[in-house]
Amino acid sequence: MLSKSLIEDVLTAAVSTGGDFAEIFAEDKNNTNLTLVGGKLEKSVSGKIYGIGIRIFKGFNYLYAYTNNLSRDNLIKVAKEAASTIKGVKKDIILNFNKGIINNIHPIEIMPDSISKMQKVDLMKTAYEAAKSYDSLISQVKVQYLDEIQNVLIANTEGRLVEDKRIRTRILINSVAAKDNVMQTGLHFPGAQKGYEFFNEINVKDYAEDSARMAKTMLMAEYCPSGRMPVIINNGFGGVLFHESCGHGLEATRVAKNTSVFSHMLDQEIASQLVTAIDDGTIPNQWGSCNIDDEGNNTRKNILIENGILKNYMIDKFNGRRMNMEPTGSGRRESYKYAPTSRMTNTYIASGKSTIDDIIANTEYGLFAKYLGGGSVNPSTGEFNFAVREGYIVKNGKINRPVRGATLIGTGMEVLEKIDMVGDNVDFSQGICGSISGGVPVNVGQPTLRVSEMTVGGRDGER
Amino acid sequence: MDKKKFIKLLFEKGRKAGFAEMEIYISSQKKQNINVYNDDVDSFENSVSEGLSFRGLYNNKKMGFSYTEKIDESTIDMLIREAMENAKVLDNDDIDIIYEGSKEYKDIVTYNKQSENVPVEEKIKYLKQIENMGQELDSRVKSITYNMINDATKSIMIANTKGLNLKYKSNLYKYELDVDIEDHEDVKSAYRYQVTNDFTKLKGQKLINDVISEAVSMLGATSIQSGIYPVIFRSDVSASILDAFASIFSADKVQKNMSLLKGKLGEQVADTKVTIVDDPFMKDGAFTRPFDAEGVATKYKKIIKKGILTTYFHNLKTANKDNVQPTGNAYKTSFNTAVDIAPTNMYIEIGKKSYDELIQSTKKGLLIIDVQGLHSGLNPISGDFSVSAYGYEIIDGKITRPVNQITIAGNYIELLMNIEDIGNDLEFILPHNGYVGSPSIKVKSLSVAGQ
Repeated sequence: MLSKSLIEDVLTAAVSTGGDFAEIFAEDKNNTNLTLVGGKLEKSVSGKIYGIGIRIFKGFNYLYAYTNNLSRDNLIKVAKEAASTIKGVKKDIILNFNKGIINNIHPIEIMPDSISKMQKVDLMKTAYEAAKSYDSLISQVKVQYLDEIQNVLIANTEGRLVEDKRIRTRILINSVAAKDNVMQTGLHFPGAQKGYEFFNEINVKDYAEDSARMAKTMLMAEYCPSGRMPVIINNGFGGVLFHESCGHGLEATRVAKNTSVFSHMLDQEIASQLVTAIDDGTIPNQWGSCNIDDEGNNTRKNILIENGILKNYMIDKFNGRRMNMEPTGSGRRESYKYAPTSRMTNTYIASGKSTIDDIIANTEYGLFAKYLGGGSVNPSTGEFNFAVREGYIVKNGKINRPVRGATLIGTGMEVLEKIDMVGDNVDFSQGICGSISGGVPVNVGQPTLRVSEMTVGGRDGER
Repeated sequence: MDKKKFIKLLFEKGRKAGFAEMEIYISSQKKQNINVYNDDVDSFENSVSEGLSFRGLYNNKKMGFSYTEKIDESTIDMLIREAMENAKVLDNDDIDIIYEGSKEYKDIVTYNKQSENVPVEEKIKYLKQIENMGQELDSRVKSITYNMINDATKSIMIANTKGLNLKYKSNLYKYELDVDIEDHEDVKSAYRYQVTNDFTKLKGQKLINDVISEAVSMLGATSIQSGIYPVIFRSDVSASILDAFASIFSADKVQKNMSLLKGKLGEQVADTKVTIVDDPFMKDGAFTRPFDAEGVATKYKKIIKKGILTTYFHNLKTANKDNVQPTGNAYKTSFNTAVDIAPTNMYIEIGKKSYDELIQSTKKGLLIIDVQGLHSGLNPISGDFSVSAYGYEIIDGKITRPVNQITIAGNYIELLMNIEDIGNDLEFILPHNGYVGSPSIKVKSLSVAGQ
């Protein structure tokens, strides 16, 4: 994307006023986004994202500038302008790039741009037909198809120069069931860091039918009762609860400024001994994986919590300075329009020993959250909230009836301590996590697990 | 490459490739973001960026769409090829339109030159001053994590082969404050912001006072007995909920069976005290603009008038389908998204009672000052919501204690029908897909889950 000599000149200009580190992130990305509603292709959008971000550090301060005019004159100008706000003395730097070789652990078989748009539309129509014909109560089905090919180049004044190509594909199927003015939705959204072969490996029809089943089940369900009760959170997307309620609090973005509930807690017991939690950016072809992070460092498998003890945070280069700790391959950003910060990749709770059947059989009364919806957290206090997309009341060790409209609230610390059964069925689900460096693809994951007591909000009053 | 030349070449090549009518949309932005932390500039971001999208009627039928941030001759062929392929796969029954222009465009002020040119040093000085003030206000201030001024100047240009050539420039300041308070291991945080296009109108002093006193007021908060309570939503909370449900007014959602307001035109959908306005000409409004994303002149309208739904928001396509006039609500989240629908500056009209009077008139109830999880805990198709919240308990017209770890649940239409009183304290929240405001509102009863 950029010549070595241009990179050198831009970085030299960036540290010309006393900055002690500078970095370039150049991006050339092609996106395809198709939307099918009611069986008809509504939107077909594609194009190019293209630009460069320049970051300069001086101590605990950083400057960030971006532009999509990649001409030599403009890049030098942008770097100089950014540097001009630093009032320091120029240090001599000698740049000696060793172009890093990337070991690609995410092999791609079929480049998505080698497949015609028509073929992608046919795939979407298959999903549509499967969901729509599931039941006469299914009133609407929306299918979205996404693929992206992102080329990045990252270079810094420490001599790092790396390039990578990231390919992601995803399909989202949203079924709506309606009856007597009531509507409920069911949703699946599988994705991977794979080419078009992903759609040959998964059964899109199964996902579509299951989204329709979910919508219909919730349409026929009663409102969820509210109150404090045991909650069984299913594997896969259930991991979003850990992601929100604990994961964000373990990001250096918050920890460095001492505004996380988990600041200064290393080596302390913060969770039930049944809990081991991991952030692993190296899992081949997973949605949240990368060969290198967006600061050019190799991603890693980071054990965050081991048998209840806090072992590590997720650390980016800038916040690592304040914390006096090494980066962990966790610096990520949506695009060149964002300075990177510490973010999650594939974050999950490791498998335990119970089976899902044991967990349900051992629960006298509680809520089984089969699929969670989204949620959010206040990292200062750890308070979170989650929607339950598909829920059931468990009574006397058996699934009793479906319930809708439930919300889970609590604090991350409280949940971690109250996990009292952990299943053996760890699984992943895909999401886009939004935070200060934009929306990045992440996997959430966990086995089925039980929290001994949680506040469940619902519309049906107390049981 | 010169823009005019680029467009000319693009349209020429497009016509040869089979596009009958074509349009380009260019969005250019200059942004600056400064955060002060511990009396130092913690982060400083500066950017200039531009994006172009192209759309055209291919073979005189379907509208192909493509975009690029690389604007030079090398991308023209890509734009045409992608738009062509995109047009070929579309099979909806919609009639796509490239617009020849409205008769008249209102002359409104959206740009404040003085505010664009405030020196960096002045902004930094301002932020440092507010941070110092905050630290001196209360010894329990643990951290002022975000103390940030963001200002952006944006230009939008639309030009097409039907002779339309429109442009406007606007700028906006966003000031955000996020504070953590700690007292005996009890940590509470609060977040407040202000939006204006005039730097001299920033009220940092008031904001820092408000944000700290709000966080302090939540210390020692506990849950409340589950039950049905009268609830007051503070202005910004009511605005956030209206914002989260804004898509129910979109004609596109109505036509696709994805709005609960389908078939409700002319019917009562809210209490007679409720009037909701969409005003694209509002002074200092973040979405004040003379034309929408398709070049249609914007207009002032009441979408709910004394509880009666009077219109949906339309773009050219949905208006054509319903055989009505477009309402000037075509919207693009970004240059690279297809045309959608959104409000401009939309708000619930004020009532008579002050915020304090709303509280005084409540015998036993809850005042909600924040809700979380609006992106996930509500369903714009059914109107159902269940979100976590915090605020205060009110007994005999007085705030008695802070309350947290509760959820409130209901249905938005039921809530609008159930409004008992509307305050006179209109506030707007941070703009994203529309700039949405509300006064504080009091609802007769709502389901609250706590202990």
